[in-house]
Amino acid sequence: MSRYIATRAIRGANALVKEAELMLNKALAEKGPDTKVSFPNTAYYLPLIYGMTGIAVEKLSDLQPVVKHAKILLHPTPSESHWTPYLGETLDSGMATLLAAEAIEAIRFVYGQQPEPIPGLVLAGGTSYPSLDTSENGHGGHLNGPIDDIQLRTWGIQLVDGRMPGFAAIVGAAKSNEVAVKIVRELQRRNILCFLSGNVNGRSIIHQLMEEGVELGYDTYTVPFGTDTISAIYALGFATRSALTFGGLKAGQAREILLYNRERVFAFVLALGEVDDLKYAAAAGAINFGFPVIADTIIPEILPTGITRYEHVVSMPFNEIEGADDLERAERLVQKCIEVRGVKVKLAEVPVPVPYGSAFEGEVVRKNDMRVEFGGKHSRCFEYLYMAPLDEVVDGKVEIIGPSFDNIPSQGHLDMGIIVKVAGRQMQEDFEPVLERQIHYFINGASGIQHIGQRDIAWIRISNNAADKGFNLEHFGKILHARYHADFGAIVDKVQVSIITEPELLQQWLGKARTAYDYRNKRLADLTDDKVEEFYSCTLCQSFAPNHVCVVSPERLGLCGAYNWLDCKASFNINPTGPNQPIRLGKVIDPVKGYWVGTNEYAKIGSHGVVQEVSMYSIMENPMTACGCFECIVMLIPEANGVMVVSREDPSMTPAGMTFSTLAGIAGGGLQTPGVMGVGKFYLLSPKFISADGGFKRVVWMSSVLKDMMAEELRAVAIREGDPDLIEKIADERNVTTVEELLVWLEEHNHPALMMEPMF
Amino acid sequence: MPVEIPKDKWPGSVRTVTIGALPKDGGTRKCTVTVGGETTMPFLHYEGEIPNRPVVAIEIMDRQPDDWSPLLAEAWKDVMDDPAKWAVAAEQAGADLLVLELSLNNRNGEPTTPDEAVSAVKSVLAASGLPLIVFGPGQAEADNALLVPISEATKGERIVLGICEDKNYRTIVATAMANDHLVSARTAMDVNLAKQLNILISDMGLPLDRILMDPTTGALGYGIEYGFSVMERLRLAALQGDKMTQLPMIVTPGYEAWKIKESKVGEGVPETWGDWLNRAINWETLTAITLLESGADVLVLRHPESVKRVKRAIDELMSAKELV
Amino acid sequence: MALSGIQIYKLLPQTNCKECGFPTCLAFAMKLAAKQVELSSCPYVSEASKAQLEESAAPPIRLITLKSNGYEVKVGNEVVLYRHEKTFYNKSGLFVKLHTSQIENALIEETRRINQYQVNYVGMDLEVDGIAVEDDTHDPAKMKAAVTAIRSVSKKPLILISSAVDVLEAGLSQLSGETPLVCCANSTNWEKFAELAGKYKAILAIESDKIDEFVELTEKIKSKGIEDLVLIPNGKNLGHNLILQTQIRRAAIKANLRALGYPTLAFCSSPVEAAQAITKYAGFVVLDEFAAELIYSLLVLRQNIYTDPQKPIQVQPGLYEINNPKENDPVLVTTNFSITYFSVANEVEGSGLPAWLLVADAEGMSVLTAWAAGKFDADRIAKAVKSTNVTDKLSKHLLILPGSVAVLSGEVEAELPDWEIRVGPREAVDIPKFYKLALQVN
Repeated sequence: MSRYIATRAIRGANALVKEAELMLNKALAEKGPDTKVSFPNTAYYLPLIYGMTGIAVEKLSDLQPVVKHAKILLHPTPSESHWTPYLGETLDSGMATLLAAEAIEAIRFVYGQQPEPIPGLVLAGGTSYPSLDTSENGHGGHLNGPIDDIQLRTWGIQLVDGRMPGFAAIVGAAKSNEVAVKIVRELQRRNILCFLSGNVNGRSIIHQLMEEGVELGYDTYTVPFGTDTISAIYALGFATRSALTFGGLKAGQAREILLYNRERVFAFVLALGEVDDLKYAAAAGAINFGFPVIADTIIPEILPTGITRYEHVVSMPFNEIEGADDLERAERLVQKCIEVRGVKVKLAEVPVPVPYGSAFEGEVVRKNDMRVEFGGKHSRCFEYLYMAPLDEVVDGKVEIIGPSFDNIPSQGHLDMGIIVKVAGRQMQEDFEPVLERQIHYFINGASGIQHIGQRDIAWIRISNNAADKGFNLEHFGKILHARYHADFGAIVDKVQVSIITEPELLQQWLGKARTAYDYRNKRLADLTDDKVEEFYSCTLCQSFAPNHVCVVSPERLGLCGAYNWLDCKASFNINPTGPNQPIRLGKVIDPVKGYWVGTNEYAKIGSHGVVQEVSMYSIMENPMTACGCFECIVMLIPEANGVMVVSREDPSMTPAGMTFSTLAGIAGGGLQTPGVMGVGKFYLLSPKFISADGGFKRVVWMSSVLKDMMAEELRAVAIREGDPDLIEKIADERNVTTVEELLVWLEEHNHPALMMEPMF
Repeated sequence: MPVEIPKDKWPGSVRTVTIGALPKDGGTRKCTVTVGGETTMPFLHYEGEIPNRPVVAIEIMDRQPDDWSPLLAEAWKDVMDDPAKWAVAAEQAGADLLVLELSLNNRNGEPTTPDEAVSAVKSVLAASGLPLIVFGPGQAEADNALLVPISEATKGERIVLGICEDKNYRTIVATAMANDHLVSARTAMDVNLAKQLNILISDMGLPLDRILMDPTTGALGYGIEYGFSVMERLRLAALQGDKMTQLPMIVTPGYEAWKIKESKVGEGVPETWGDWLNRAINWETLTAITLLESGADVLVLRHPESVKRVKRAIDELMSAKELV
Repeated sequence: MALSGIQIYKLLPQTNCKECGFPTCLAFAMKLAAKQVELSSCPYVSEASKAQLEESAAPPIRLITLKSNGYEVKVGNEVVLYRHEKTFYNKSGLFVKLHTSQIENALIEETRRINQYQVNYVGMDLEVDGIAVEDDTHDPAKMKAAVTAIRSVSKKPLILISSAVDVLEAGLSQLSGETPLVCCANSTNWEKFAELAGKYKAILAIESDKIDEFVELTEKIKSKGIEDLVLIPNGKNLGHNLILQTQIRRAAIKANLRALGYPTLAFCSSPVEAAQAITKYAGFVVLDEFAAELIYSLLVLRQNIYTDPQKPIQVQPGLYEINNPKENDPVLVTTNFSITYFSVANEVEGSGLPAWLLVADAEGMSVLTAWAAGKFDADRIAKAVKSTNVTDKLSKHLLILPGSVAVLSGEVEAELPDWEIRVGPREAVDIPKFYKLALQVN
């Protein structure tokens, strides 16, 4: 905590509480202690005071304990010589400021000084004041003052159900009228509520907007509270009532109300112009609610995250913001506010000139219907997604570098690179490949566009029909931007896309992309079970097999073959209550068989008590259960001292005397059957494949379809196992269909399993 | 020789949920309905407590339904075009509580307006003192547009608002929280989906004792076995202590059983299907009984005769407590 | 602690003789571990192993088979309390009760109706399993006449009900070569009943409302050499019956209490009682009367509850006509998972819009599951189109794919070049809307 901020906030608080006390004493004397005190149309008394202290203020005298309480919260300003942590003191002062501010506004109501009069303002919807004469159009105008309960409900529901992402409390005045308008428009565009108050040297953003003819009021999501800083208290009164109304909280549950706001109300304070003591004090109050403060002037920042979701105070001096002009700077400033508070914005539609939806995923664009293609036989197309720091990504920006396909003849081709740069506070490098793979689905969703492959073997076709409707390169970017936000908003905050067709740059980027592909391949290969602290559960299949749980580790992918460890990790980050949950490994019980305290505990819970222990690396002892979606079945052949692996795609008879479908009945159903296991085919390649029982050398028979499909990978495994001819020693259905034949084969081929120690 | 019958001692129990509020608690109901609280599988009085009997709700609509079986029209006769009268008739037919379902379109074929919906709800509340469940038309936008004003107009009544689904629950939950109501959470016959929705709803801050869960079901012959097993599994999970499954279950056998051919159609069906009316009532009753045996706490029915039969079954299943 | 398949394998001869009906000793051992076969199926197991395998040697609930000339009703052999834990194996035998007091013609007529009753449900023909004859005249001759009358029109297995041994014997004497069921033995008459059952090789049912009494009686009767027993928990009402049935099932499965390890029988006088009996453990369900609409609903319920939860019900693949489709109506394709079929068929039927519903053989999986498992691909869809000759029935060739497998449309186009392939909605519910909007059919 900056001592500078602490000093100024504490000073501001002391001054305001003093002012409140003086005003109260004056009012008590002039109006009497029983004078009624209230805000218009609310059942929450003075809402902030009511929420924070539980005191239901109904008359002037009820304010006395409030001011007393505020005084207790005050602290002396930090001394010049002593360095102590000031956070607690500052936050206390902030709270004192809020109590005092609300008390002051209440007293102003008593004196008829609220709502603040402002000539010429006609609100487009606002709190109603039947006692005020607003008939003289243009002359008897007034600001809104506090928001009433009816509007609270309307907006509150939208804030809770997500239709409205959050609210901005804007305090002060913008650099220019133009900037003021731009800021408000940017916020409105995102459905973010704007609460307006405060001034700089007497000039308020409210004046600025009025001068520019911007309509203010409930109907336009802009509420002018008052032209002084104190009126900003109404924003926090609104926040407090949200918690009381929609959080099921009771008056006086101060801590819970503050936490509720921190967790659920996506609000921030935007301080425009010079920040005085009172603004510092009020800002400290807002931080109590978890609302960060972004200032467009130079002030000390408080970056360590803690009370607020992210930074507490961010300084973004307006003139130093990158941008061609003030309007662009204003846009960036708003963008920053949104990032800091972690407000998520969703795009309703994918903005392309062709129909879009998963129904078009499988469309084929035939050569005859084709306008242009990228990749395939005659050209090169690649896709590369990488993460970058938040401030290096401009959300929504789509850049085309190089020529479009306008000059390419019909049915022609063009080289293209799609570079996606993403940023997000929850983003991790490990999610890059998971996100990159989505490009295929996202682009395929556009009608008349066909996408095949991935990485540097991507192949995209645009149909004549789509091109006629105006589909161009930019739309690839628009699609990706919209879909990453819609589907991966939990981990992605910003998406920027570059489409490169310029040959030289394309080669450069292709080089970078290939380096990244290699790096990711290695990363995946290096990602071993002993290098991570958690595995992931997968309960996606419990609708079929209620007690089955997949435990997915870096070296053992899900038995369906569809989910590896990284997928599960990403899935968990996207959907924290979903089917993939982290399993903290905890203490290792047996590193050989693969038992951990964590995996065993999870097996018990996930299987609803049916499975007590699960071994990650053995088929003989507590093997992992299976749902029925497995790609292969591994089964013990006791006579051969080894196992066979039969593929789902192999309908023939196996040496176990049963075909895949019969075996599936034994292997599936979420029951532990030692000697039988359903697995994903890539698990066969893992060094941890039944490693407790002797590993891959135990494989004595394998469906030929697997041998063919993974020929190269299996050869590598054979070499790893120190027996380069191993694959040739493994029988398959083309030469062996009974145990008897198998034994003969193994003898003839001198299979290592015969020499290994007995499996049981 | 006395035999030791194995008993399950469960660490968990189902939560108790009270629907409706009496005048002293801020509502206008003449009675409330409390469900849940079980510490054992359905009706096994010998090993645990079943403090609250399962209840039967009768489903009524805000106007004459377009697509209900003529047999139901025959049973309810002319009250069907007046929700207030229908509510009274349902109460007389033995309903423990009412389910009012809102139509997507009004009598003139135009979208039902919030005012129409509110007035239908208010007329039902005025006509019958039974606790009330209100289901929207089942389309997200229409549900939200109608349920929010209803919720506000009936603040404090502890109505159950539905239907919350994973794609549309936030608005309904928010308004239920703000107005002291309950919600019904529906998921498609899957234990984990049910659990997940309960987590999402309670994450919004709605206390678990204000949520009913609807695991959905198929009618007899149309997938009931899925509903049956999912409910057994949910209940077992609840008893094992899984907090997010410890909610009372509401099911809609009436809706399920009356939308299928066996109940809807009287002519041109195989002779072996037997008498139409008896078959339809059997279908609804058997669907309901099967779900009752797998853990249903609130059964929503349509035909008065089914109501009678199911209530009698509940009587017998509950009275066995004295026999053990 | 139950033995695993591998532990059992070690105790078996390991000769792979196949005489047990399984291809290898390991496969047999695994079935044994799952309590799905009896150890006695292995002719060569040693005495020493037998003793060790005692616990895994037999299913906890005895398999009982009622037999008549050409018919068999098997019940028992259950291993779980809840069907999701594995499955319920042997469907409750559904019987209808007749009385010895009925006049012969009425008896024959009624029997004929019961005997002939057959109803189709998702492509399966379901029937009543047999007939129960209750003695309400205390006259052996009447029983004999009743059994003779019934046997003149039906060969289905019989249950004979009387408190008098001579009445039962009169009936049994007409059923040589069959294995009928006789009831009801109780604490006073059990000895004579046991003797009778022994003499006629009949299955004996014991009636009581006390668990202790069942245990006592089964042990006594077993000591007389009668092993094929059935229990009739005769509670005071629905709730009491549920508890008795549950206690018997639990004791047999959880505590492996052999004295209660028998199937049960329930006499049901209402649809509700019968429904409970089917869902909650009754091996035999005896109905008071025959009514087509009741039998139909109970047969369906039984079919549902006894479906293997891991093997969904399938409908017959093929072409189904809905609302009398014409040659220019669309073909909707879906899989043969029954629930999938029903949701689609119901929506189309309810909408009144004509369609050809082409059900592809996807091994009984739902659309997405089948697609993921490679059981619902362009190849299979094309095969379904060809094998049903639907092309010949149509002038317009429009095929609608389920929305969730939109990805297949390209491949299907390639497989069926003469067809227009369109992608329909993801959910069956949206089919009517799709008809109206996309196909412009009203």
